[in-house]
Amino acid sequence: MRERLFLYIDRDSPLHRLNPFTKLVLTFALILIAFLGPGYYLATAIFILILIPLSFWGRIWREFVSTSLRLLLPFFGFLFVMQSLFYPGGQTVLVNLWIFSVKAEGVGFAYLTATRILVVVASFLVFLLSTHPSTLMTDLARRGLPSPLIYVIVSTLQIIPQMRVKAETIIDAQRSRGLDTQGSLRKRVRALLPLVGPLVFSSLVDVEERAIAIEARAFSAKRPKTSLVEVPDSRAQMIARWVFVGIVLLAIGSRIWL
Amino acid sequence: MIDIQDLTYTYPATDSPALKNVSLKVEEGEFVAIIGANGAGKSTLCYTIAGFIPHFFAGTLNGKVEVAGIESQHSTLQELVLNVGLVFQNPFNQISGAKFTVYEEIAFGLENLGIPREEMIKRVDKVMALTGITDLAKRSPYALSGGQQQRVALASILVMEPKILVLDEPTSQLDPIGTREVFQVIKEMSNRGMTVVMAEHKVEWIAEFTDKVIALSRGEVLLQGPPAEVLTSPLLPQHGIGISRYTAVARRAREENLWPAALPLPVTLDDAVAGFVGGLENAH
Amino acid sequence: MRIEIQDLHFSYPGGVEALKGVSLVVNTGEKVAIVGQNGAGKTTLVKHLNGLLLPTKGTVRIGDWDTKDYPVARLSSRVGYVFQNPDEQLFNKTVYQEVAFGPRNLGYPAEKVAELVKNAMALTELTGKENVNPYDLMPTWRKMVAMASILAMDTPIVVLDEPTTGQDAASIERIAHCVQVLHQQGKTVITITHDVDFCAENFERIIVMGGGRILLDGPAIEVLAQEEILATTYVEPPQLTRLGNRLDFPHPVRNEEEFLDMYRQLHRQRDRA
Repeated sequence: MRERLFLYIDRDSPLHRLNPFTKLVLTFALILIAFLGPGYYLATAIFILILIPLSFWGRIWREFVSTSLRLLLPFFGFLFVMQSLFYPGGQTVLVNLWIFSVKAEGVGFAYLTATRILVVVASFLVFLLSTHPSTLMTDLARRGLPSPLIYVIVSTLQIIPQMRVKAETIIDAQRSRGLDTQGSLRKRVRALLPLVGPLVFSSLVDVEERAIAIEARAFSAKRPKTSLVEVPDSRAQMIARWVFVGIVLLAIGSRIWL
Repeated sequence: MIDIQDLTYTYPATDSPALKNVSLKVEEGEFVAIIGANGAGKSTLCYTIAGFIPHFFAGTLNGKVEVAGIESQHSTLQELVLNVGLVFQNPFNQISGAKFTVYEEIAFGLENLGIPREEMIKRVDKVMALTGITDLAKRSPYALSGGQQQRVALASILVMEPKILVLDEPTSQLDPIGTREVFQVIKEMSNRGMTVVMAEHKVEWIAEFTDKVIALSRGEVLLQGPPAEVLTSPLLPQHGIGISRYTAVARRAREENLWPAALPLPVTLDDAVAGFVGGLENAH
Repeated sequence: MRIEIQDLHFSYPGGVEALKGVSLVVNTGEKVAIVGQNGAGKTTLVKHLNGLLLPTKGTVRIGDWDTKDYPVARLSSRVGYVFQNPDEQLFNKTVYQEVAFGPRNLGYPAEKVAELVKNAMALTELTGKENVNPYDLMPTWRKMVAMASILAMDTPIVVLDEPTTGQDAASIERIAHCVQVLHQQGKTVITITHDVDFCAENFERIIVMGGGRILLDGPAIEVLAQEEILATTYVEPPQLTRLGNRLDFPHPVRNEEEFLDMYRQLHRQRDRA
């Protein structure tokens, strides 16, 4: 597990400076358009003509490419093999491999699915690589997302890596009591309770103390909260967000009427 | 500032009360230490002054608890935390987790209070200088030492400008360096007139800085008075309360007439030195 | 059971060299305290004793076993390690089960386990709490349960990691008593601590670490006299030692007895003068 749970990379770029809500709306818009819009190569077009340029604009194209490949190549490989060979209703045989036959309809379906999933992953990647969770949450708070929800999301992002440290200490402590963490499956299953038990119990103790700590910081105060950090927005971006929504509606519409 | 009369409190699902008929008064600007064996009720008393008992912990509370003019039972936790700042033992659990940098972490309480941005920045800068953590501003609170984290916790509470500061064994998880750093900040706050209530084991520190010491045993007030009196009382060891080694050795020396009988027992190093040097000089 | 460490180097993944050539021998039955500032390498060193960490260079021998050749679970039959935070170990419904966990893992038969548990609980003043859920106990007592659970393993070597942090006077006394009894039983006790007073009053030999190396290693009295070296790793002399130094004692004292002995002597000398 990485040291921290979020993907953000600190660069100075116009994409980074965009308001996070704008990027969030764009992400969902691109995904919806890719799935609902017309045309077989629409998703491909979005990826090549929009997402890749965006990654350059955000100066994150290296991480973008490497992370996408790392996440998706294995999955795509599996997808293509399964669909090409076993797609139901496939008739047109392209080539025969031993007892299996590769069917065109399968390949076609695999390509469509793959490119759509690519758009989903790539859009989120561009978003997450260029947006710090703190900036996103501050902006969403301003727009009305309830603060307990924000707290849960942000604190989880930060606490989970700390829990990993705790888990390692627990494993060490229990091994020092003679617990065998290697060996047969049965042994490993029996090792679970001594490892998970203290993790849960000590985390519960921590959670109660943390609740006291945030209460002491007036977290439940019934007054409107202010924000130290100001996340810039602009009229142009607001218009752009509505334009994105509009395009999504057009895409859905074209599906129905074309 | 704090007026507690006949306080008896029992935690939910327990038979015996954690605090029994506790009465005490703390004047504005006083620095009061609470000592006692683990389980004597120090934390319970701290939580009561801070308002978490009865509003966070439920249970049955009898008696009067008046803090900064407000009666705890008739108020809400949200009201009470505005007047009383609480810092407790575990530095790690006081990091809210809501913020990624120390600077923002300290401002968190002010955001919750709806303080305007310019005022926030002024206060945070001031309190970071006070606690000596200005250079930690951009770091993650999770990447700090225990002593640094505890100072961040202190700063995060002090920035809210409470009238009373309550500390529940703030240095017990810290190494000697961290301990010294934290006590320095607390001492400074007290010098500036803050009302401070601190539960502690480290008796030598208490002797130097506090105006009054309250000793608890099994939920009841055992002793209350000036540090010199309380910390040298023979009752303390009988109730499982650790005393300064200087006091202990001087008491034994006194039994052998090696410590001047008229001189009060020491708690700090300097007092002990003075007494023992005097003892040698009088030895002819 | 002899501990022999030869030229131990250790670097954490990520490059930090935490131990830069540590060598030491601990003979059976010694009481050793390791002090030094945070980051000096104390915990890193001590984690090599039961194989939680393996040397990047050099060897660690527990008796005739090289720690490289044995898994932690087996080394735990020779080295009992009491971790600092009991909540990161406790998971059983009763104190008895918790204390029995260690000896059961070591493969002792049921009657032996019962005996070991009974003795360990008596030593830590837990007798009578066999059927209590450890989480119903206060943190000070949970610490005793954690200690008992290691003592019940009856290992020839016991390591205590910061045993007195957060404990009150009564608890520290209990821990000191355990150390004494273990010593009387001929076991080797090693502790890491910030509490120099606890260290001076209960341990004959003190090792001072700084920057991944051993700076001082010897009898408590000698080590505590070296104030400049101690200062480099932020270790202050114990309270009574400081008092003695201020009174110009001819040599440092470690505890109440030594202080009073020395003071009586000086007093008598003045009397005669």
